Amino acid sequence: MSAEIRTSDGELLSVKLRKVERRRRTTAFLLAAPLLFFIVFAYVIPIFQMLGRSVDNVQMNEFLSETHEVMQTWDGTEMPGEDVTSTFFYELKGLVEEKNHGKIATRLNYEKGGFTSLIKKTARKLKDFDENGNFLDQFIDVHKKWGDIEYWLALKRGTDAYHFRKYLTTFDYEQKFDGSIERIPEKKRINVTLWLRTIFVAAGVTFCCFLLAYPISHLLSVLPTRYSNLLMICVLLPFWTSLLVRTSSWMVLLQKQGVLNDTLVSLGIVADEGRLELMYNMTGTFIAMTQILLPFMVLPLYSVMKTIPPSLMRAATSMGATPFLAFRKIYFPLTYAGISAGSILVFVLSIGYYITPALVGGAKGTLISNRIAYHMQQSLDWSLATAMAAVLLVAVLIVYWLYNKIVGIDNMRLG
Amino acid sequence: MLRLTKIMSLAALLVAPTMATAAEVNVVSWGGAYTESQKLGYGDPYQEKSGVQVNWIDYSGGLSEIKAQVESGAITWDIIDVYARDTIIGCDEGLFVEFDFDNDFPAGVNGMKASDDFFAPMPSDCAVGNILYSWNYAYNTDNINFDGSYPDSMEDFFNPSKYPGVRSLYSSAMSNLEFALVADGVPGADVYDYMEENGIDRALDKLSELCNDPNGGCIFWSAGAQPPEQLVSGEAIMATGWNGRHFNAIVNEGSPMKMVWDGQILDYEYFVLVKGGPNQAEAMEALKYFTSSEGLAGSAKHIAYAPFRISSLDIIMADEPWFNSPQAGAVEIMPHMPTAPANTKNYVLMNPEWYADNNTDINDAWEAWKANL
Repeated sequence: MSAEIRTSDGELLSVKLRKVERRRRTTAFLLAAPLLFFIVFAYVIPIFQMLGRSVDNVQMNEFLSETHEVMQTWDGTEMPGEDVTSTFFYELKGLVEEKNHGKIATRLNYEKGGFTSLIKKTARKLKDFDENGNFLDQFIDVHKKWGDIEYWLALKRGTDAYHFRKYLTTFDYEQKFDGSIERIPEKKRINVTLWLRTIFVAAGVTFCCFLLAYPISHLLSVLPTRYSNLLMICVLLPFWTSLLVRTSSWMVLLQKQGVLNDTLVSLGIVADEGRLELMYNMTGTFIAMTQILLPFMVLPLYSVMKTIPPSLMRAATSMGATPFLAFRKIYFPLTYAGISAGSILVFVLSIGYYITPALVGGAKGTLISNRIAYHMQQSLDWSLATAMAAVLLVAVLIVYWLYNKIVGIDNMRLG
Repeated sequence: MLRLTKIMSLAALLVAPTMATAAEVNVVSWGGAYTESQKLGYGDPYQEKSGVQVNWIDYSGGLSEIKAQVESGAITWDIIDVYARDTIIGCDEGLFVEFDFDNDFPAGVNGMKASDDFFAPMPSDCAVGNILYSWNYAYNTDNINFDGSYPDSMEDFFNPSKYPGVRSLYSSAMSNLEFALVADGVPGADVYDYMEENGIDRALDKLSELCNDPNGGCIFWSAGAQPPEQLVSGEAIMATGWNGRHFNAIVNEGSPMKMVWDGQILDYEYFVLVKGGPNQAEAMEALKYFTSSEGLAGSAKHIAYAPFRISSLDIIMADEPWFNSPQAGAVEIMPHMPTAPANTKNYVLMNPEWYADNNTDINDAWEAWKANL
């Protein structure tokens, strides 16, 4: 057991040290606190609240709570009984009086097309209903769609307080009434195609960026400063131009009657009838996105290559390695940190891209983010939009996790 | 949810412009030449007449912005220029004020009450008509593929062996399905009846034929300026588009183009009044003037869209050449009006209710079709 060491003011040294350490940590935390506070309140909380919408259907459940209650005992094999239809009638009547029936119409329409006009037509006729008569027959008199059991099933589905169906839709599956999960009809399958295409484009663009950025970064790192600065400006120039301007310039360059094709034709490399299709297809998407994202690959690579001493390569060759072997065994492994940092940046940015592909990609220019934007802005099915966004977020987190597993996040160098 | 609302309203407070003391109305529209025509046609005259300042704000459509404003309780918009479908959805969601149409809006100069003077019935109780515009197609008269004979029907657009060359189509389903059915022989007035039974499949098959034909082929446009540009550059031989954009290229820019009106789709733009907007009362007064016979005729001086009121056409016809082109001077506008009798021999009236009902199904089918093209 060691003697207790005390400081000049008589305190235990270990206690004093802990105190000092704690004060330093507090100061550090206070300095970072504004940022942390900002991120949590302006970023993390809103994101999670937004993502909550993908499963949250509480409002619908409250609007039609009694109908939902009664429908729990209905097995859905044949048309609902009078208990269901009468409850629904009175609840709908209440909603019409409060002018809330439009809200349920829009939301039910996400469950089954046709509900918007069905609810509105029914709402107008509710006052003519005979409350002593058969409600189902009267509903069917208003609109024959009420005779289709699918609409009642959709009504039951659509009033669950929480649901995970939107996640199924995200992958082109749907849940049947008996609980079985099936793929949706082939003519409407679109999301899986788009997920695969998005990943393909992101991976392809990352690879193209890598191929182009590697030699450029190497050149930048070995050139004298005055030349490398100039080259660096060329690399950064796209950063300082608006995305739409850059995309439009590519359209001017790449279209069939564009600068590039005109030049090739006038040089006699391609015939006038055989002009290259460089735009409105995958080629266009790859070219434009690679150019836009290139700096995100160049900068991390450059910062890593800058720190590799040239003497290492000389040492390897002096010991008999061919230039290629020296590159493969010595130089290339030292740039791993830069490659992975650049790749993760470019990949993550590309899976969220949609404006550029939509403009230059033609029929194949729709990516998953276009669908998210569509459901956010046009169809207003925010549940589906947020479900897709959540899947996208998880995909990015998986990429990040893989990166951390393989390379280690401490090795990331961003410049 | 409550916390999100608070955060959003805080953010909105920070960016909200300082409130002016004078009366003002914030009108949100699509920007560009269109907003300019509205500003010159009725915005500025109203401001002069009433002393109420009219502010024009650009947006890119959709209801997400106004929905977010209403949810956060920080509404800054008064009047919005929207598509028919959005008036239905927005009205259902309770975002907009419902009108008592004939009491809220004045009769036309021809004496007809408002609900009769407007060309088509309103799609919802929250809408008041603004303009009618047309989805039609145009071709480049200089394109060598034409060889002296030119297309004049929707069937010709879908006939790549008669007129070889790439076609440019709108990137969403809207307009393309209707055009395809008209080209397949369905009369314009019956298009949406056919849609109900297998019409979508039939239309998509027709489109596949065109787009997969070695003499044809399709490219897609998403911004209104693209079709004329693609025609002039030779990227496409024929392009569907909005008649106002085609007109602008032909008259103001002198491009060698011609519009074909057969099978045109008449589509509408409406104004809506935001419920609980910052200046709701002033905005209602402004809206009355904007949508009067004179107001709507005024905007047709600056853009080739048809005023929604029939009586506005009387004002225009009495004073031709009505159109005021900055490049070509005064131009007769009636031949370019989508609602002119010569142009409405076979047309489709856009059915926003059908789109509101089948939105998701149509969009999924369309995107799946495009992905497998």
